[in-house]
Amino acid sequence: MLSIKELRVSIEQKSILNGLNLEIGSGEVHAIMGPNGSGKSTLSQVLAGREDYLVSGGEVLFDGLDLLALETEERAHAGLFLGMQYPVELPGVNNMTFIRESLNALRRARGEPELDAADFLRRVREQAQLVGLDQALLKRGVNEGFSGGEKKRNEILQMAMLQPKLAILDETDSGLDIDALRVIAGGVNGLRAADRSIIVITHYQRLLDYIEPDRVHVLVGGRIVRSGDKQLALELEQRGYGWLDEAAA
Amino acid sequence: MNATENRVTKLVQKEYEHGFTTELETDTLPPGLSEETIRQISARKNEPEWLLEARLKAYRHWLNMSDPEWAHVKHPPIDYQAISYYSAPKKRGKGPKSLDEVDPALIAAYHKLGIPLQEQKALAGVAVDAVFDSVSIATTFREPLAKAGVIFCSFSEAVQDHPDLVRSYFGSVVPYTDNYYACLNAAVFSDGTFVYIPKGVRCPMELSTYFRINEANTGQFERTLIVAEAGSYVSYLEGCTAPKRDDNQLHAAVVELVALADARIKYSTVQNWYPGDAEGRGGIYNFVTKRGDCRGDRSHISWTQVETGSAITWKYPSCILRGDGARGEFYSVAVTRGSQQADTGTKMIHMGRNTKSTIVSKGISAGLGQNTYRGLVRMTPKAENARNHTQCDSLLIGDKCGAHTFPYIEVKNPSAKVEHEATTSRIGDDQLFYCRQRGLSEENAVSMIVNGFCKEVFRELPMEFAVEAQKLLDLTLEGAVG
Amino acid sequence: MITAAQQSDWLLHHLSQSAGNLPGRGLAWLENLRREAARSVAQLPVLNRKQESWRYTSIDSLLQQRFITAGADIGGLENLDISRWMLPGLDAYRLVLVNGRCLPSPASSADLPEGVVLGSLRTALATDPDRLSAWFVRNSGRSDNLFTALNSALINDGALLHVGTDVVLDKPIEILHLHLGHERPLLVQPRNLLVLEPGSGVTLVERAIGADSSAAFHNHLTEIYLSAGASLDHYRLQDENQRSHHLCTLFLSQQEQSRYRGTHLSFGGVWARTDCHALLQQPGGECEINGLYTVGDEQLKDIHLRVHHAAPRCTSRERFKGILHGEGRAVFDGHIIVDRGAQGSDAQLRNDNLMLTRSAEVDTKPQLEIYADDVKCSHGTTVGEVDPAQLFYLRSRGIDKAQALSMLSLGFAAEISNGIRLNALRSYLAQRLARKLGGQTDASGMDSGNV
Repeated sequence: MLSIKELRVSIEQKSILNGLNLEIGSGEVHAIMGPNGSGKSTLSQVLAGREDYLVSGGEVLFDGLDLLALETEERAHAGLFLGMQYPVELPGVNNMTFIRESLNALRRARGEPELDAADFLRRVREQAQLVGLDQALLKRGVNEGFSGGEKKRNEILQMAMLQPKLAILDETDSGLDIDALRVIAGGVNGLRAADRSIIVITHYQRLLDYIEPDRVHVLVGGRIVRSGDKQLALELEQRGYGWLDEAAA
Repeated sequence: MNATENRVTKLVQKEYEHGFTTELETDTLPPGLSEETIRQISARKNEPEWLLEARLKAYRHWLNMSDPEWAHVKHPPIDYQAISYYSAPKKRGKGPKSLDEVDPALIAAYHKLGIPLQEQKALAGVAVDAVFDSVSIATTFREPLAKAGVIFCSFSEAVQDHPDLVRSYFGSVVPYTDNYYACLNAAVFSDGTFVYIPKGVRCPMELSTYFRINEANTGQFERTLIVAEAGSYVSYLEGCTAPKRDDNQLHAAVVELVALADARIKYSTVQNWYPGDAEGRGGIYNFVTKRGDCRGDRSHISWTQVETGSAITWKYPSCILRGDGARGEFYSVAVTRGSQQADTGTKMIHMGRNTKSTIVSKGISAGLGQNTYRGLVRMTPKAENARNHTQCDSLLIGDKCGAHTFPYIEVKNPSAKVEHEATTSRIGDDQLFYCRQRGLSEENAVSMIVNGFCKEVFRELPMEFAVEAQKLLDLTLEGAVG
Repeated sequence: MITAAQQSDWLLHHLSQSAGNLPGRGLAWLENLRREAARSVAQLPVLNRKQESWRYTSIDSLLQQRFITAGADIGGLENLDISRWMLPGLDAYRLVLVNGRCLPSPASSADLPEGVVLGSLRTALATDPDRLSAWFVRNSGRSDNLFTALNSALINDGALLHVGTDVVLDKPIEILHLHLGHERPLLVQPRNLLVLEPGSGVTLVERAIGADSSAAFHNHLTEIYLSAGASLDHYRLQDENQRSHHLCTLFLSQQEQSRYRGTHLSFGGVWARTDCHALLQQPGGECEINGLYTVGDEQLKDIHLRVHHAAPRCTSRERFKGILHGEGRAVFDGHIIVDRGAQGSDAQLRNDNLMLTRSAEVDTKPQLEIYADDVKCSHGTTVGEVDPAQLFYLRSRGIDKAQALSMLSLGFAAEISNGIRLNALRSYLAQRLARKLGGQTDASGMDSGNV
């Protein structure tokens, strides 16, 4: 599904990713953990096509496509979804309209017919209920004045609507209380499927109690320094990241 | 400018859609302005003596005035002798206007603009007065309106058919001494629309005027007068377009609204005059005076404008809140791109007790566009418990445009409450990225964000216009985002 | 409305009567500056309503008066006991000007740290003219109105502060502008120059007060240069008597990463105007201007701020609050300009007014002029009376109306007064406000049905 080879990325001449390698198979859930500043968010932004970063080396294949050659929206059309750590507000842009436009843009790109309004409405209401997003928020501006938790729920709702092949969830757990975390994890788990891969980027092991990963990777200094099964996450929880720095060095 | 901005800038460089010209035989006065010009205009319209006198009085006053210089706009001096002050398509017949007598070329021209004049093809529920250069060429749905007692006709017809009404309200809101362009208009105005809504009548359909400048080197000086008697209601819309020409053309209109007790006038404008080319050649100088007089208690006037065209826009649709409990509203979206300049806003003059005004202004600047909000809120000593809330937001697209806010707030009554807020922002890279990540094209994303920014204003427009305005904004900004 | 002729007559009258006896004769640059200012008379704009920054301010009554120029002589003042005019409880280095002329330095300034000059401009013209010329030359072309021209044409004395590179003062400086009466109205024109070299830091308290109730026109012109990394915490208190006209024109120019924090408090005078021009010339400058003004009967407070972001990544914050009672009038005219290319500018402008009486009047004009897109700019303004619910709440707890109004007014002012970092000044201000508002609100026409 996703194959990253020797990816090197810098921003304003500061190198962030230094030859990162990662293979994710279809239907797998991978967790990427790591200390602050290790490059976790950079990785997710670069995969989604944020322009502020300079890719100086390496390649990324997504479902056989040269991902880095695609525009941001083309990656979305190809089935890549990034659940953002800080979802932006779009004042005055109706949330429901936005989601419908996104969905139809994807469908058009795939040569599928646009969803009819009633169908869409039913589906979005259903999904909102599943992720515990207040229906009233569908009528507001996208993320406009939403609380931290509401923004995250809105992200998962969009993921559920867009049905991506690969979902990258960047610190989806940050700023959530335990109940919200459960609901969101439930939403994510509900989307696990044989043809859908998920990357969960997180700081803490906590989220992984709810979303059980197939693989756990530790990112330090712009490289994956260790990979393992979910035991690795527990180990990190107990020992912190310090011992890995030494291991990396 | 970063890569995203560059692309967004390109997005807003869209061609003007209504730039065609219509070939017609016309009756056009040679360029030049003198008492003789005014006498000729008046004679062509077979005007009563009092109106000619009023024109001449205004003209003599105008000669002693000078161009206003305070606006935040730049243009070379206007040569008032180089303008033709009257141009009309030649009439095919005489007698009462009926659509059959209108030159098919004219009907075709309006059709091309999306304004069918044949009633069976027209938008249901919208009556249209079509003003072409200096004259009104057709007014639709007159019959059903007349049944409701509503007068909806060209200004020239009103002068003939309802002289007393015209005479008692003409110039009562915008006197000829008001300002330079209003004074010029009072001297040379050619046609426009007259609306009268009798007491207690809710006008059964939307009324609209569609202004079209066609002839080269002419100015358009129309005059609109709307009188809403006690307890009546009317919603009025105006639209404007012009051909692409390399010379600047002057449009100096005057609009007067009078609302008596409990009357409500909703006045909406979608202004799309030719804005000039990318280098700033050509385009309309849109120097317009619009004012509503809330004469009666609890009267209510709302101005909603979407200003996307014109090389220069200079207009301040205002409300004089004279009656107790009167309300004034101003909702505006002004877009400047290319080399367009806009200096627009409103005046809210609170005179009655418990008067209330709301101002929402959204300015969008792209390219080299300069966009200025200028507004006055005045609370006079008698404006007990008056309220104003003003929100002025500017959106900048690209680093060579400008957004300016010049509010004037004058409070002479302590029980009055005035709040003014203004913000300036641009379309954030993170907002664009977010939308594109969800699969939207950049163009689509920009249009969504801009429409979201303008939402508070669009929702004030009547349905048919809201859709048109939104489309217009998309076209205007297509290729503009940067 | 005044005419060009009246204006130039008035100016020429004051120029001619004071031509002699000015210091620095023979200094070419100074003579030139004075001459240019005097010569500009004919080209000066007429300060009537057609001038945007004089739209709400009539100077007709000022121009009907003729003043005599103060400051020719300070003989006999050496022994003046100025201690009673000082700000109580403030441990500071001090400089005292009487009617625009500096008194010999008080003892407290003898122990100024090395690298700091605090003294008389007139003295420096005699002892160190070359250094002054470098600063003054930068000012060329600034005689752009009647009053700046009048000040420049008659440069005589004023406060001079020079703080050397990396010197950070351990104590604040207090500069006192004291007005001593004369049998005829005086024209008092200090020319102040504050230069902070790179990395230096000062807290400065300037106070303009009067010793008696005689009339005067105080026409201050102050120039402030903040070099890279310099920091000035500037308090200005204007509290002259009710027959005074006071104009303070302030030119501030800021270099890279410099910081200006001004707190302008204005209570006195029949007309008190501040014309503040801040120029953020280099990246990373921070400019914060806070203000509090009160106006009562016959008073006009006239605040004009022009903050110019000419370089990227500068921050400015302007926040002025006004309390109006009696037949007072306030004019606030704030203007932020962001140049093309001044990306990353962050500017906020606020003006809030509390109207305590029926006959007060406010004209406010917060303006933004923006030519760059990557900016965060906002302005806001409010005008209103005391919230009846708040008033009712206090009165229901047994507090009488006057007291309640005074409390609410002080609460309104707190945003500014709490930002004052000098205890001595903060408590002085609290007393001053309580006296002003306590006495005034009582007598004011608050008996209307609205309150």
